[in-house]
Amino acid sequence: MTTRHFLISTWDWNPWVIAICFTSIVIYGTRHQFHFTRKAGWLLAGLAVFFLTLVSPVDALANGYLFSAHMLQHLLLLLVVPPLILLSLPSTPVSVRFQSGRWQWLNWIWRHPVATWILGVGGMWLWHAPALCNAAVTNEWIHRLQYASLLLMGFAFWWPITGPWYSQRLSPLAGMIYLFSACLGCTVLGIIITFAPVEVCSIYLHPVDRLGILPIIQDQWGLTPAKDQLLGGLLMWVPACLIYFCGILGLFAHWHGDSGNSAVVPQSTSTKASKEQSHVR
Amino acid sequence: MSKAASFSAAIETLPLGSAYQGLYSWVATVDHKRIGILYLLTTLVFFVMGGIEALLMRIQLARPNSTFLSPDAFGQLFTMHGTTMIFLVVMPTLIGLANYLVPLMIGARDMAFPRLNALSFWLLPCGGLLLHFSLLAGGAPAVGWFSYAPLSETAYATTSGVDYWTMSLLILGVGSVAASINLIATILTQRAPGLTIRRLPLFVWMIFINSFLVILALPALNAAIVMLFIDRHLSTHFFTPAHGGSAVLWQHFFWAFGHPEVYIMALPAFGIISEVVPVFARRPIFGYEFVAASTVAIALLSFGVWAHHMFAVGLGHPMDLFFAATSMMIAVPTGIKVFAWSATLWGGSIRLTTAMLFAVAFLVQFTIGGLSGITFAVVPIDWQVTGTYYLVAHFHYVLFGGTFFAVFAGLYYWFPKITGRMLSERLGKLNFWMALIGFNTAFFVQHFLGLMGMARRVYTYPDLPGWALLNMISTIGAFLLGASVLVLLWNIIASLRHGEPAGDNPWNAWTLEWATTSPPPAQNFDRVPPIRSRRPLWDLTHPENPDPIVGGIGACDGFELEKNRIGIVSFLITEGVFFLMLILAYLYYNNRAMNGPTPTGMLNPQRTGIYTLCLLASSFTIWLADRKLRAGKASTFRWLLALTIVLGFAFIFGQGREYLRIFHAGILVNSNLFATTFFTLTGFHGLHVLVGLIALVILMGLALAGDFKEGRIEAVKSIGLYWHFVDAVWLVVFLIIYLRLLL
Repeated sequence: MTTRHFLISTWDWNPWVIAICFTSIVIYGTRHQFHFTRKAGWLLAGLAVFFLTLVSPVDALANGYLFSAHMLQHLLLLLVVPPLILLSLPSTPVSVRFQSGRWQWLNWIWRHPVATWILGVGGMWLWHAPALCNAAVTNEWIHRLQYASLLLMGFAFWWPITGPWYSQRLSPLAGMIYLFSACLGCTVLGIIITFAPVEVCSIYLHPVDRLGILPIIQDQWGLTPAKDQLLGGLLMWVPACLIYFCGILGLFAHWHGDSGNSAVVPQSTSTKASKEQSHVR
Repeated sequence: MSKAASFSAAIETLPLGSAYQGLYSWVATVDHKRIGILYLLTTLVFFVMGGIEALLMRIQLARPNSTFLSPDAFGQLFTMHGTTMIFLVVMPTLIGLANYLVPLMIGARDMAFPRLNALSFWLLPCGGLLLHFSLLAGGAPAVGWFSYAPLSETAYATTSGVDYWTMSLLILGVGSVAASINLIATILTQRAPGLTIRRLPLFVWMIFINSFLVILALPALNAAIVMLFIDRHLSTHFFTPAHGGSAVLWQHFFWAFGHPEVYIMALPAFGIISEVVPVFARRPIFGYEFVAASTVAIALLSFGVWAHHMFAVGLGHPMDLFFAATSMMIAVPTGIKVFAWSATLWGGSIRLTTAMLFAVAFLVQFTIGGLSGITFAVVPIDWQVTGTYYLVAHFHYVLFGGTFFAVFAGLYYWFPKITGRMLSERLGKLNFWMALIGFNTAFFVQHFLGLMGMARRVYTYPDLPGWALLNMISTIGAFLLGASVLVLLWNIIASLRHGEPAGDNPWNAWTLEWATTSPPPAQNFDRVPPIRSRRPLWDLTHPENPDPIVGGIGACDGFELEKNRIGIVSFLITEGVFFLMLILAYLYYNNRAMNGPTPTGMLNPQRTGIYTLCLLASSFTIWLADRKLRAGKASTFRWLLALTIVLGFAFIFGQGREYLRIFHAGILVNSNLFATTFFTLTGFHGLHVLVGLIALVILMGLALAGDFKEGRIEAVKSIGLYWHFVDAVWLVVFLIIYLRLLL
C-alpha cells in the first residue's frame, strides 16, 4: 500500500456523521429559506471540519495507529467545531424555556464561566488519563462517548464567548482572560505529554495493524511511537493555543468594532497642506 | 466621592514647603514622579557602568590575539554587561518611564499603591549593589547572562559570583513584579472619568499588556534561580546531569522567561514610538486598533516560541518544526506595527526634532534587527550562526538600535515635562548623529564577523583575513557611541541649568500629561480636561473639529474594579506561575526511574490526608468569616478567624512531623532528585502557609483592636483570597505527590 492508496481507501463513510451533517444543513436551511449568509458560512465551515475529522483518513489513523492523529481529532472536536457552529446560530434573547423548569441546571452552567471553563479544560485533561485514553481506543462505545462528550464540552466552553445569547457573553476583557487561562491549562498538559518519558496512551505503542498501513507510518513517514507522542504533545502545546489566540483577537476586534463610529478614518491626502490637520471625517 | 474629598484634604494639609525638599524627601518619597526620576537616574548610572564594560571588551577585541584582558576578566565583563544592561538598565528604565508617565497620561494623582511603588524602586539599587558586590567578594559571575547549567554549578563556577547573581536577580525580579502589579492596578482603577480602556494612549496600553508579561514570565526565572541557588548551597542536583539532573531543563525554564523578556524590553519601546511618531508627524496614529491588537498578539505568542533559543540543543525534529513556525508567526504582529508607524509618517507634516530623529532611526534599525531575527527561526541557519557575532549584532539591533533609541526619543520628548526645561536641540542633533553612526558602525559589521564564524564570548580571536579590520571598525563605532552618551549627559546637565523653559505643552501634543504644568505639581492635576476621544488635548484646542468620539458619548467600561482586589489577584497569578514551575520540575524528575528514596516508600497519604482536610476546612472557615463580617456579625467573624488560624497551624504541625519523620529516616534534601523536588515544592508551600498565618494573626489583632467595624473589609477579602490560593496549591501538590496523579 502506498501513501496515495492509503489516503484514498481509508475514508470511513460513517452514516451517523453524514446524517448529522445532512439534517443540520436541512434544518438550518429551511429555517432561513436557504439564503446564504455569513452565519450559514460558519455552519458549513464547522460541519466541514466535523465531517473531515470523523470521516477522513485522520480517523483511521486515530483509531489505534497514531496518538498525534487522535490529538488532532480531539482538538478539532473540542476547539474548532463548537465555536464555528455556535457562531452560525442566530443571535436571540435568552429563551424563556431555559430560565425555569427542567432545563434550569443547563442555564446555570452556561451562566457560570468557571463551570464552562472547567468543562472545556477539564475535558482535555480527563480524556488523557491513560486508562480512559486506552479505553476509548479499544471500546467502540467509549469511543463514541468520547467524541460526543468532546463536542458537548466544547459547546459549553465556547458558549460564553461565541454563544448566540449576547447577554450571557463575557465582557471582552474577561473573555480574553478566560481564553488565555484556558490556553495556559492546555499548554501545561501539552508540555507534560511532550516530556513524559512513558506513553500516555500505551495502546498506541503497539498498534494492531488492521489496515496494513503500519509500514507506511513507521518506515515511509518515520513516525515511531516516541516521535508520535512528541508530536501529539506539541499539537496540544502549540497550535491549540493558537486557536484560543484567534478567539482572543476575535474578541478584541469585536470590542473595538462595535461602536457606532469607526475609529479608523481614511486620511485625506490634502492633510499636508495644513500643519495642524487632524483626520477628516 | 468622599474618598476623593478626603484625598484632596490630605493634599492641602501636606506641609509641602518643608517635606518636599532636601535629600531626605527624595529617600522617603512615595510620589510616583519622584520615584520615576529616581528610577531614571539610577539606571543612568548603571547604563554608564554597563557601557564602560562594553568598551573594555571592545578594546580587547580591537586587535587579534590581544592580551589586554585575561580570559576570566573577559568572561566576567560580558556577563556583567549583559546582566546589567537587561536587568539594571532596560527593564528599570522602562518601568521608571511608566512610573512617571502612566498616572499623568491617565489623569490620576498617583499610582494605585504608592508605598509598594517606593519598595519596587528601592529593590533596584539593592539588587544592583548586591550584583556588583561580587566584584569585591572574589570576582563577578563569568557564566553569561543566561547562566547555563552546569557551567553555573559549583563544580565549574567556583567563586561566589553566581550566588550574588542569583540573589540579585531574585531581588530585581521581585521589584519588577511589584511594579507591574502596581501598574496593572493603576491602569485598571485610577483612570480619570471618561478615559475608557479603548481611549487609552498606546503607551499606557502597551505598559498594561507588558505588565502582564512581567508577572507571568518573571516567576519562571525566579523558580529556576531558586533551584540553582538550592543546587549551589544545599548540594542538590537539579541541573547537574552527572547526578541525574537536567541541564536542558534550566534552558527551558530560563527561556520560558527569556523570550517573553525580549518583548518585555520591546513593548514599552513600541509604546514610546507610538506616542512620539504621531505628535511629530502631526497625525493621529494610523490604525490604533491594529497597533493595540498586535500588542496583544505579540504578548500571547511570546510565550509559545521560547524553544527557538534552543534549536542547537537538539530538541528533535518535531519540536524544531513547531517552534520555527511560531517564531515566524510572531513577525506578523510586529510587522503590522512597523507598517502602522510608517503609514502614520506617510503624508504627515513631519517635524524632525531630535526625538523624531531617534524614532525614525528606531523604525529602520528595529526592522533590521527584526529581519535578522526571522533568520533565526530557520533552524539550519540558526545552527550555523547561533553563538556567533551574528547573534550579537541581531540582538543589539533590537535592544540598542530598537529599545534604546526609543528610550532616547522618549527622553527628548518627555524631558521638558519632567524638568520644565527643553533639552538643547543642537546638542541633541549631535547626540543623535553620533549615536546613529557609532551604533551602526559598531554592530553592522558584526553580522559579517558572525557569518565568517567568529564566536561570541571568546576573549580573543586568531588573525584571520578581514577579522582584524572589521573588529577595529566595530571598536571605533563603539567608542563613537560611547561619546554620544557623553554628549547626552552634557546636554542633560547643561539644559537643567540653562535650558529654555518648556511651558506646559511645547510639542503641541495631545495626551493628558501635557495638560498640566511642567514639571507637574504634587497632585498632578488641578482639573482633568474632558475626555471623549484618544486625543483629549486636540479636542480641547480644536472644538470646531474634534476627534470622533470613541465608544459613544458617556461611554464607560462597564466594570468597576477595586484596586486591592486587582493587586492581590495579580500577585496570586504570579505566585501561581512560580508554583507551576516547581510542580513541573517535580513531574519532570519523578517521571523517571531513580535510585534512593521514592514517594511510595516515604510518604503516608492517609496521615497527610487528615492535615490536608484541616487546610481545606480552613479555606471554608475564612470564606464564612468574610461573609459574617459583611453581614455585620463581628464576634462570629473573630471566632471563625481564630478557627482558621488553628486549622492552619494544625497543617503546619502535620507538615513538621512529616519532615521530622523523613529526616529521621536519613533522607535529606540532597539524597536524590525525589527528595530535592519534594522538599523544594512542599517547603515553598509551607513557607506560603506561614506567611498566610502571619497575615491572619495580624488580621486577628486588628479585629480585636476593633478594626473592620466600619468598612476596610477589603483586607479580609484579600487575605482570604491568598489563603484560598495557598489551599488550592496544596490540593494540587497533594494529588500529585501523595496520590501520584499524573505519574
